[in-house]
Amino acid sequence: MFQHQYAMVLDLNKCLGCQTCTMACKKLWTDGDGMDYMYWNNVETRPGQGYPRKWDQIGGGFENGKLRPSEIPSREDYGQPFQYNYEERMFQGGLQVMPHEPVENTPNWDEDVGALMLGENYYFYLPRLCNHCTNPACLAACPRNAIYKREEDGIVLIDQERCEGYRYCMRACPYKKIYFNELLGKAQKCIFCYPRLEKGEVNACARQCPGRLRFVGLLDDPGSAVHKLVHVYKVALGLFPEKGTEPNVFYVPPFNPPRRGNYGKSILDDPRMPLDYLVYLFGEQVTDVIRRLEAELKKAQDGAPSEVLQLLIGRDEEVRYQIPKRESLVQITNAQIQPLRRA
Amino acid sequence: MKSRRDILKLAGAAAMAASVPGCRKTEKPLLESFSTATLDPLHSYPYRSWEDLYRKQWTWDKVVRSTHSANCTGSCSWRVYVREGVMVREEQAADYPKINATLPDYNPRGCQKGACFVEYVYGPQRLKSPLIRVGARGEGKWRKASWDEALTLIADKLLDNIYNYGPDTNAFFSVIPAMSPVSFCAGSRLAHYIGGVFCSFYDWYCDLPPGEPLTWGVQTEACETADWFNSRYIVLWGSNISQTRIPDAHFAYEARYNGAKLVCISPDFNSSAVHADLFLQINPGTDAALALAVAKHIIDSKLYDEPYIKEQTDLPLLVVKETGRFLRPEGVADVFYYRDAKSGQVKEAPGSMGSKTKSISLGGDDPDLHARFTHNGKEVVTVFELLKEKLAPYTIEAVAAQTGLAENDIRLFAQEFGTRRPAMIIHGAGTNHWFHNDLINRAFILLVALTGNVGRNGGGFNHYVGQERIWPERGFRAYAFPEGPKKQRFQNTTLWTYVHSSNKDPHLYNGKPIEHYIEESIKNGWMPLYPKNRKQKPRAMIIWRANYLNQAKGNEYILNSLWKDLDLIVDINFRMDTTALHSDVVLPAATYYEKIDLNTTDCHSYIHPFSKVLDPLYDSKTDWEIFKELSAKISQRATERDLKPYRDEQFGWERDFTRTYFQWSGQGKFKSDEDAANFILANSPETKGMQYGMLQQGPRRFVATDEEAWTSDIKPGQAYTPFQHQVERKKPWRTLTGRQQFYIDHPWFLELGEQLPIYRQPLAESAKYPFFWNTPHGRWSIHSTWRDSRYQLRLQRGIPIVYMHPDDAKERGIRDNDWVKVFNDHGHLVTKVQILPGEKRRRLTMYHGWERYLGFLQGGWQAPTYVKIKPTQLVGGYGHVNFRLNYWGPTGNNRDIRVDIAKYTPTAAEMKVILRSRDRKGAEKA
Ligand code: SF4
Ligand code: SF4
Ligand code: SF4
Repeated sequence: MFQHQYAMVLDLNKCLGCQTCTMACKKLWTDGDGMDYMYWNNVETRPGQGYPRKWDQIGGGFENGKLRPSEIPSREDYGQPFQYNYEERMFQGGLQVMPHEPVENTPNWDEDVGALMLGENYYFYLPRLCNHCTNPACLAACPRNAIYKREEDGIVLIDQERCEGYRYCMRACPYKKIYFNELLGKAQKCIFCYPRLEKGEVNACARQCPGRLRFVGLLDDPGSAVHKLVHVYKVALGLFPEKGTEPNVFYVPPFNPPRRGNYGKSILDDPRMPLDYLVYLFGEQVTDVIRRLEAELKKAQDGAPSEVLQLLIGRDEEVRYQIPKRESLVQITNAQIQPLRRA
Repeated sequence: MKSRRDILKLAGAAAMAASVPGCRKTEKPLLESFSTATLDPLHSYPYRSWEDLYRKQWTWDKVVRSTHSANCTGSCSWRVYVREGVMVREEQAADYPKINATLPDYNPRGCQKGACFVEYVYGPQRLKSPLIRVGARGEGKWRKASWDEALTLIADKLLDNIYNYGPDTNAFFSVIPAMSPVSFCAGSRLAHYIGGVFCSFYDWYCDLPPGEPLTWGVQTEACETADWFNSRYIVLWGSNISQTRIPDAHFAYEARYNGAKLVCISPDFNSSAVHADLFLQINPGTDAALALAVAKHIIDSKLYDEPYIKEQTDLPLLVVKETGRFLRPEGVADVFYYRDAKSGQVKEAPGSMGSKTKSISLGGDDPDLHARFTHNGKEVVTVFELLKEKLAPYTIEAVAAQTGLAENDIRLFAQEFGTRRPAMIIHGAGTNHWFHNDLINRAFILLVALTGNVGRNGGGFNHYVGQERIWPERGFRAYAFPEGPKKQRFQNTTLWTYVHSSNKDPHLYNGKPIEHYIEESIKNGWMPLYPKNRKQKPRAMIIWRANYLNQAKGNEYILNSLWKDLDLIVDINFRMDTTALHSDVVLPAATYYEKIDLNTTDCHSYIHPFSKVLDPLYDSKTDWEIFKELSAKISQRATERDLKPYRDEQFGWERDFTRTYFQWSGQGKFKSDEDAANFILANSPETKGMQYGMLQQGPRRFVATDEEAWTSDIKPGQAYTPFQHQVERKKPWRTLTGRQQFYIDHPWFLELGEQLPIYRQPLAESAKYPFFWNTPHGRWSIHSTWRDSRYQLRLQRGIPIVYMHPDDAKERGIRDNDWVKVFNDHGHLVTKVQILPGEKRRRLTMYHGWERYLGFLQGGWQAPTYVKIKPTQLVGGYGHVNFRLNYWGPTGNNRDIRVDIAKYTPTAAEMKVILRSRDRKGAEKA
């Protein structure tokens, strides 16, 4: 088995929906040719269509240990990376600046929409990236064996030399976090910023997150924040656990304020955001996690500090990230892998 | 020059060129052809040398620190990465020093817009050379010009105007020095030496909270955002921090984990409301009613901080019942009284403007809050008692009906506000942009004053709209207006725009049109109006660091009047914004990454620099360089034209334009923009000992504060919060009474019944136009900057959006993504609609700042608006209430606008614009 596993915990009760993570990732990794439409990191409003559209309903993952491949999302499902006629309007006396075709979908099409229940709106932001699963469906599906999981840190990568663009991985991933670069004929996805982590620098999406809600470290490092949040305080859950891929991106589940006139009551009786919806996303455990978080908040508001909330405050980078330095990996040429040392 | 795409290709595509580019595999692979039967990629993988591909992508040749100047209040320090001579990306520097170990730090300050500013540096909107208009204004037809030709044209015109029509026909408009003071001052200095009119911005944009100058005698004083963490009760009131304070919002959500309760008051279920403990979905414009109900509850339940209000507010001061005026000594305007409960005597209140005591310390007195008696034959009563009378109608029941809130929620809110300390209001444009913003501000401030929260860490009324706080103010002023403010023509832009355009406010105030009040105010010398000669009109306007036209209320009126009257409009800009497009001469400026400057904000207590990541690209120059050359050109032309000095009567100033450059350059002292930056730093107590070069190492916290400018010290290990000088050191407040002043007995306030905070409904017209037109700040732009940025637009819907509640949409047969027309008697716009369940019914929202040239089939976001001036904001000559640029003057409010909406079918000509994909001549190829 692999020696270590990187994980990320995202506290959804701090997310601003600002997409700085999205832009950070875009500018670093997906700003090249054939990549305009792809957002390895995206942020979607939930409930909502998601990106690609309806990704959570089209399938993928495992059922009874068997791969359940789905259709590949269409171009329309990802939304259009449109261009504009700026020069024409500004410098040549041309017509109004417009997208070059009518826009029918974008990766953030239903931003802030959510849904109504009994006349009241509810929603939250869900930032998503590849889950670097412990049991990656994408890997299992690749006939060319071009997807692998790094033994030293559990990051799942698509070999950009050996990938032949068959896209079985896209069908297999239940999170639809693999994209196809048509220009290059390659499947591409989030690389968990391994070049940065190897130098002791945290992922761009995490380091650039002004909401400061991302915690990164080795899940198996008992000193890491991610370990504590997932295994000690047990307040972070993976998305769609029933898909069988064992995701390594975890979320502190969201809650909205009470409904009108309910101030003072628990958000669990008569909640604004239906619990069913959260159970759908995060599994049965979510109710329990929310109950505990609510109790911790109450405790803090009554003047007794809460250990887990103090950790979630994440006062500085040292609290949020525990990245071992491994300079040697920078020059890696599939020679032997150095054992891990904390920086 | 290499393009950005070329560089990215190098790292990404080109490196992979060996492996079948352009090939799209769809056929089933021949599995048996693989020799990988023994490969187990879940456990080990032998072919890892390719991984260098991405490692190479995360490399650079140099990194330089800079920031952005868009009036966002962020003031975030960024690192810009350069590879092969091209800026490829940016990342937050994230190195603000910690204030102390308990407070969360400020890192990483930034947002998604800053994270892609390099898109503008190389973008298709970038201005690359001076342009002179050849088509109609706004048409977008230009010819390239040399700098010499463009500057000569401008210099000659400015000089002609001065000699033919007066120097006050030349107007200068630039905003927010804090975001780049060197660039600002370069132009303001020129205006100063040629007698031009310098126009205000903070009041015009309605970011000024007029209640602060009225109540506190300050422009805006707020805590730095780290202080939010010290709070136990945070009320987001009209402020959607998740969208408009992206770098700061975490402090509020982290405070919640530290035991604060978070309340969000807003008509829509916005991006901050989702994280609140209590969400109050209030009816638009009724916020003051809610505040007054809370004030009433606090007073009725005796939850107020009695010693505090006796010392720090005007509530114990005596008012003569009959006249409504404060009790004063005969013939004296600025001395006041309370009754000391201990001795029963009427005593002079210490610390007022006319008081000999320069402290508000009560010296053992116990002012009676409840006094009501006859004094020298006059019935007198305390402000506190008058306030109680005024508050009587604001019962929780009555206010629940007005605001649309549940009584239970209001009651608990009021009780908690009165009991959880420290408590603060985080205030924003959502409530500040109303016509009655002065009353709304005053009602809110009343809450935090009653509860003794002002001047305390974690408390207060903290207003954040616009980056107006130029911390090193003294140095800035000395560089901006070197001969002092008395020798500068300052103009409130709201008034200037109203008078010089065809805007007409149809409302009557106390039976009189606003023109009546405007004329009175000018006649009394309360508000200036230029040109002084009322037969003249503004003739030239120079705009830099701003997008005046696009952002102006009354867009349609301005385009058809003021804009036609101006003979010369010059825009200095790095991109073609709406104002630039509608100008006569466009001068290409360096971007935020190609200049030297400084940057500060209300939101934190640090200063950090802009830098030249690369020298100005193309044929652009920094703002500082442009004004330097323009000054030189003016002197050159004055010499060549043999112009005699102009006698400027208003100041008795012989203006010799052959010397303008000499003066502008400080007699040769300012040889570079860095000299200017160093001058500002050296002449301000906040930045004593700092030099521009040192800031390159990282943000530095201010070392002290200028007592005249600010109201608290900067203390190591403590977050800045204002008014500690008043609350701790008993220094008088900068008001007529020397106290937080809720009672304003100016005759106009008395005439209009606004001597105390009350609730006034938004200006109505709802019968004809049922929807409020709501144009808040949003996450996707900073005003108009980034509105046209492709990377941002791809994460929206590509063109401007009007948001609408599903039930309103259903009623009108409108579906999501339909074209719609929004209209009233002032103007209209056509764009697309998005159905938003969290929107309030009977309200339409369009986030502000959309450029007129993008996406709209007709009009623009300001088309249905017009300029409305509130009479109480025209007053002057009252103690602390006097015109001062960006401190006091009418605000350009814009929330009380009503519109209607209908589904729209584009015309055949418009369909051509929409369906242009078939004919993309000139479309961008990036
Ligand atoms: S950058 Fe952080 S706060 Fe912003 S959307 Fe991404 S995860 Fe949320
Ligand atoms: S999220 Fe999808 S792409 Fe990523 S490792 Fe899991 S299955 Fe593979
Ligand atoms: S970990 Fe790195 S590659 Fe993955 S989404 Fe975040 S920024 Fe992008």
